[in-house]
Amino acid sequence: MAGRACGVAVCLLLAVGGVGGCATPAERRDDVRDAAAAFQAALGAEAYDRVCAVLAPGTVEELEGSAGSPCEEALRAQSPVPGGAVRRTDVYGNQARAVLSTDTLFLSRFASGWKVVAADCEPRPQEPYECRIKGG
Amino acid sequence: MTEHSSRTTPPSHRGLRGFLRDNGLGLFFTVSFLLALFGQAIAGHADFNNQLATDGLQQISFGEYLTTSDFAVDVSENWQSEYLQFFLYVGVTVWLLQRGSPESKEMHKGGTESDEEQMVGPYAKDSSPKWAKAGGWRRAVYSNSLLLFMGTVFLLSWLVQSITGVAAHNEQRLRQLQAPLSWADYLGSADFWNRTLQNWQSELLAVASMAVLSIYLRQRGSPESKPVGAAHGATGVEG
Repeated sequence: MAGRACGVAVCLLLAVGGVGGCATPAERRDDVRDAAAAFQAALGAEAYDRVCAVLAPGTVEELEGSAGSPCEEALRAQSPVPGGAVRRTDVYGNQARAVLSTDTLFLSRFASGWKVVAADCEPRPQEPYECRIKGG
Repeated sequence: MTEHSSRTTPPSHRGLRGFLRDNGLGLFFTVSFLLALFGQAIAGHADFNNQLATDGLQQISFGEYLTTSDFAVDVSENWQSEYLQFFLYVGVTVWLLQRGSPESKEMHKGGTESDEEQMVGPYAKDSSPKWAKAGGWRRAVYSNSLLLFMGTVFLLSWLVQSITGVAAHNEQRLRQLQAPLSWADYLGSADFWNRTLQNWQSELLAVASMAVLSIYLRQRGSPESKPVGAAHGATGVEG
């Protein structure tokens, strides 16, 4: 994104859509939706190597640290259930939430694309979501 | 600022030195503004990346930071309060007076004053602006143009603060695994009013300080001060 020919005024307008960059809001929502769908598809297929590839580095580190085993084995032991179709996405800057049929994912944008920061999350009133898979 | 005069300033020296002499005040503050904005961007970028690093997230480049809602809300929250300050100062000093203050008109001049005093319509001078000589809506608009401009920029800046503020606030909420707020909910949030009021209080304190302290304190040579030897009770007198 560095060096992009993007004026502050133009991006201020894009900030209206809740984004911090020059991709359009629709494009960013699509990218988040695709990443969430890829995560769900990998979970459904129990392809934990692909699941780990979509997780954020800090989340993988926390998962392996708390389980004392590599990411794939930690996930296999935890066996999270797929959350279904993506019903809604919220994107603000480089952070996003994807609300699924029975789960909620939090994602963050990295150089390699959108990664899942937290998954298997349940909302709590007036408090952050409680997530069984998340970074430290 | 309260002395009426139809005199124009004497002709300037020619060339760059003449330009700098004629525009020193505006140039000084414009350049200082740009330097301060650049400094804010550098510090803000470092602070933003520190937060991302703490959360184990991807840090962003300086160029990308300039396009974030985080930077935009930090800029616009200060702009709105500055323009509110001048909107209030320009508007309130039409009617409210402060005995002994050079920031106030003389005690008998409260209000919008007569056409003769304001040099409009039939009382306009040859050198008066065209819309001051005109009648109707042109004169009405021009008579309030400074207040209208300050008020418009204040409202637009405050609107931008609310829009970029909700985006920045929601980005932070998502990092903390919280649901985002709608714009309407954000307008009632602690974050919006904390950002707004912390700027308003400092601007209002600065104006109150200037209006009252200038009764008793002086700065020789400054038009914002009374002449050093002026009486404390002298109102509407500038150095």
